[in-house]
Amino acid sequence: MAGEQLGPALPFELQPEPSSWRATVAAALTNAALLLALAFVLFPIVWLVQISLRPDNDALGYQLLFRPTLDHYRALFESQFLRSFLNSVISSGLSTFVALVVGTPAAYVMCRWRFRARGAIAMWILSTRMAPQIAFTIPFFLAFRQIGLLDTVWGLSIIYLTFNLALVIWMMQSFFESVPISLEEAARIDGCGMWSAFLRITLPLTAPGMAATAVLCFIFSWNDFFYALILTRTNAMTAPVAIINFMQYEGWEWGKMAAGGTLVMLPVIVFTVLVRKWLVSGMIAGSVKD
Amino acid sequence: MQRSVPRPAVSSIDRQEQLAYLSGLLPAVLLLMVLTLAPAIYLFVVSLTPGTPTIPGSLTDFSDPTQNYVGALQDQQFLDSVWVQIKLSVSTVIAQVLLGLGVALLLHRRSRFLQALRTVFLIPMVLPPIVAALIWKILYTPDISPLHRLLAALGAPVSSLITNADTALWAIAFADTWEWFPFTMLIILAALQVVPDEPIEAAKVDGAGPLQLFWYVILPFIRPAIVVAALFRLIDSIKAFPLIYVLTSGGPGTATQVTNYYAFTQAFNYAYWGYASAIAVMLTAGVFVLSWVIGRRQGASAYGR
Repeated sequence: MAGEQLGPALPFELQPEPSSWRATVAAALTNAALLLALAFVLFPIVWLVQISLRPDNDALGYQLLFRPTLDHYRALFESQFLRSFLNSVISSGLSTFVALVVGTPAAYVMCRWRFRARGAIAMWILSTRMAPQIAFTIPFFLAFRQIGLLDTVWGLSIIYLTFNLALVIWMMQSFFESVPISLEEAARIDGCGMWSAFLRITLPLTAPGMAATAVLCFIFSWNDFFYALILTRTNAMTAPVAIINFMQYEGWEWGKMAAGGTLVMLPVIVFTVLVRKWLVSGMIAGSVKD
Repeated sequence: MQRSVPRPAVSSIDRQEQLAYLSGLLPAVLLLMVLTLAPAIYLFVVSLTPGTPTIPGSLTDFSDPTQNYVGALQDQQFLDSVWVQIKLSVSTVIAQVLLGLGVALLLHRRSRFLQALRTVFLIPMVLPPIVAALIWKILYTPDISPLHRLLAALGAPVSSLITNADTALWAIAFADTWEWFPFTMLIILAALQVVPDEPIEAAKVDGAGPLQLFWYVILPFIRPAIVVAALFRLIDSIKAFPLIYVLTSGGPGTATQVTNYYAFTQAFNYAYWGYASAIAVMLTAGVFVLSWVIGRRQGASAYGR
């Protein structure tokens, strides 16, 4: 992490002219500040992971050096946690799949067809992104209570559609916009119907965008805590809720909680690296052009 | 929202084409209606009733439709929760903008190493919020926290911040800033990348120092991005839940009970569905007003041209 790795400050230099002692001091201060910021971001996460690897006889971590153990992970896999983990995978996966199947054609239509209600639908999609979750939770809770969807992965998948469908329609539109209409028109002249041209020409061209959209949908559902806390009890409990239950019902099992937290966080970090380019447009979906 | 049946804008599109478009759009529109419009209407309807499971028929009792709204304005706990919300939102938005701006300026240099570092800085924001909450629960619990132990070893032990009514809210604000400053950082970085070179060069030729350069040349260019990032964080700060749930459960007392959390306890701890719905309606209205401000600042969304 030496200074030369950072390269010249090209776009605009906030430091004084190079080759003076002041430049050296400024570069050193910049690097020190960066290191400090990096430590601020990473230290809490690293601390969580190391707790999950500590042996039980030193759960509170009085020894700086310790022999890492997977005991806590082993204990998790022998408990109900595995089931919660699967519930998370199923509800997030199912919701992502349905959102893509229903939302992708709609995004295509929104992109290609200038109809009158288009602006209204767009506003509506944006407002679902903005609305607080509690506003959806109460009516869904009351409805699910009546029709027996409380504490089921189906019910969870349905409520995850409230944000996933909007996300797919928003994200996929921008990918379709980058496909030239002339390609589709050529296929149409060759006798393809509109949707068969879509399936044969447009969709394959936007496959990477679709993959990124799927990953974002999955992350957002996977990260959900609020809906799962309220709409599930034991059967459909997801991994985030299971971690909190360690806290409330089983005393303070820090090692186990840390192991659970690490497991829930890992897939997200991997996926983030894959889709970092689209992360912001996904998070602010609908209201800002990027 | 009132025009849910799409109609063609251009009459030259033939009937068949319109039907083909409709067949792609309708399933999504119908599903969105069932999933978002119907619940929104139902929420509003429930907010007009005293609805609670202990009184049969109370979910359909519309004899005094404004009682929940009038009640909320006289409910000291609700009013307090709005004040707690304002303190939390304002402090976290300011902290996240300043920290995000600072780190963005540090990272805004052409270097492949820094490019890779950017992704690392994103981690807190994409972490499952419950994991972020767990991490800070650990850091704020004196028994196990490395920070508390370090301070104790230095001879300056600090008692738990989250069980003290004077500090609990600021402890949450600190954790929230850690979790969300990457968002403002990312938007500001994107804005920094499109600042043109010419005015910067011109200012340097005129002898502007680094601080003057930032204040008079760069800041005006990135100000709109900062405002948008701040408004987004402001809206999302109203939904803050996992941190509060895990760190303090709204306590000690009601020191960290924000409005969203208050609605949650009213609905799901005490089953006052009608009253909680009214609070949720007011929260949603507040959020929409803020969103409308964003929409205006942005000119128009990608659609409304």
